[in-house]
Amino acid sequence: MTVADRLRVFVVDDHALIRSGIRVELGNEVEVVGEADEVAAAIEMILERRPDVVLLDVHMPGGGGRAVLEAVTVLAPDIAFLALSVSDAAEDVIDVIRSGARGYVTKNISGTDLLDAIYRIADGDAVFSPRLAGFVLDAFADPTGQRMPVPPFDPELDQLTPRERDVLRLIARGYAYKEIARELGISVKTVESHVSAVLRKLQLANRYQLSNWAAERRIQ
Amino acid sequence: MDDRVLGGVCGGLASRLRVGTRTLRILAVLSVVVGGIGIVAYMVLWIAVPTADECSSIGGRVVGDRRQLQVVLAFSTAVLAVLLVLQALGLNGFGIPAWTVLSGAVGALVVWRGASPAELVRLREAVNAAPVIGSTPDKGWRLFATRALIGAFLIIFGIAELSRAGSFSGAAFAVLIGAVAFVGGFLVLFAPWWARTLRDLSTERRERVRAEERADMASHVHDSVLQSLLLIQKSAGDPAEVTRLARIQERELRHWLFNPAMLGRRADQPATFAVAMADIEREVEDTYGVGIELILVGDCPMDGPTTALVGACREASVNAAKWSGCTEVTVFAEVEHDAVSVFVRDLGQGFEPSQVPEDRKGIASSMVDRMARHGGRVTVSSAPGTGCEVALVLPRHHGDR
Repeated sequence: MTVADRLRVFVVDDHALIRSGIRVELGNEVEVVGEADEVAAAIEMILERRPDVVLLDVHMPGGGGRAVLEAVTVLAPDIAFLALSVSDAAEDVIDVIRSGARGYVTKNISGTDLLDAIYRIADGDAVFSPRLAGFVLDAFADPTGQRMPVPPFDPELDQLTPRERDVLRLIARGYAYKEIARELGISVKTVESHVSAVLRKLQLANRYQLSNWAAERRIQ
Repeated sequence: MDDRVLGGVCGGLASRLRVGTRTLRILAVLSVVVGGIGIVAYMVLWIAVPTADECSSIGGRVVGDRRQLQVVLAFSTAVLAVLLVLQALGLNGFGIPAWTVLSGAVGALVVWRGASPAELVRLREAVNAAPVIGSTPDKGWRLFATRALIGAFLIIFGIAELSRAGSFSGAAFAVLIGAVAFVGGFLVLFAPWWARTLRDLSTERRERVRAEERADMASHVHDSVLQSLLLIQKSAGDPAEVTRLARIQERELRHWLFNPAMLGRRADQPATFAVAMADIEREVEDTYGVGIELILVGDCPMDGPTTALVGACREASVNAAKWSGCTEVTVFAEVEHDAVSVFVRDLGQGFEPSQVPEDRKGIASSMVDRMARHGGRVTVSSAPGTGCEVALVLPRHHGDR
């Protein structure tokens, strides 16, 4: 890959230490076209520089990653966002995904895994960390179980297929896509399409059900 | 000076004048009943004379603090308005008692705002002990009945007084109009000030709550975060120890930030599966310096079989931490309607399950036996160089509950 067609990446995080850490992790594989430490500057610079992928911190003063997502996706829907956070709060994570991020990884991810996630996102796929997969499994609890908070509003969107559930379980167990494909006897492409389908459901599903779930988790 | 009933005025006066405290108290009560001058005198003494163990009087403290002074002045003008309205209505029956009672109320406010913290605590106790007006959280019908009775009495009394001054259509009508205009005037003059004072008071309360929260946060940061940072600096030469300390601190902070409810409930509520799993995470991370990525889906109460499952999971996590050689172990646990499954996975060196040394086989079989007693099963999948995964599956039975 020549310098000219390296992926263009933009980093948004309010901590300088994290930003420089990410730069080091990414190395020369991708081109970091800029970084921002607050919401307003991030929106302006992203729209100006048009990166392929934005690494977005969930927690920031002034509206957080969600504010950046909402402002940018309206004007430039082709820019892909990967949420990067130390947060364990389920509602924060689900919030950025529903606002349009195509994936969520935690900040302790290794450099190679992060690069892998960036390429995947740039290709239009979704990236789920084990934790996000766990959240989604929890949110779309098994309809045969007792934990279904409300009856599905739209079965197409509010439920996961058994296959999607299998894929999410393996992600939560720490399997890479290639390992999942081998385990389930399907192609990596099929794994990717299952994950993208889950992402779509997550973004479009009945808001009431999901917020109910998040609120329930908070009470626990 | 513990010789006090309310403000300690009688006690102080008695020791100064060298007369019996009881005599003075009886005189004071009499002077309140007869004309009510006693109230004003008592208040003035209470406010103006400092107690034996303090150097400033209540009055001095209130005058010295601009905000307290503002509150007192705002209240005083309101009281003055009420008094003047009563006067204008010509209700002579009120006369002197009304003046004394209301100036007593102003005095009480001054005492409340200016009292020293120690005195406030005592006053609060005294008020709470009082049967009717007390702010005790007693919400029974008795309290309601008392309030209704007093309210009804005052309303009937007011109507009687008004009709004594003349019929509504007659003389009293003009008086009423005058009174309303008078009140209106007072409101126009003072209402903004009163409103601001009230707002200041609620701001003050909010600030106090916030300050308490901040103090709470600061003490937590001090107790745990600063201590950890100190320990990390001290063991800077030992990377494993630094990682371990940082991990402990990270987990504690996360727990504190994202799961505050969990902290409070652990002692008195029965442990659930999720809590037991979090305990394993903590224990293995602390003991072996290996990160456990714990992902939980669902939760259930603990019982015999689940305890066995958690024990087996602990065994598997410890094995992974001890033997795999990697720094991160993923534990995924899912509680479903008819089964609980736990997967412990590492990406370490792996091994050939058929060729494990005797001691490790022993641990594996103890895991297997333990699970088998409750109808569960254990699957270990590993090969050299590909890491290892232990799957523990326990069926749940709902029929026998």
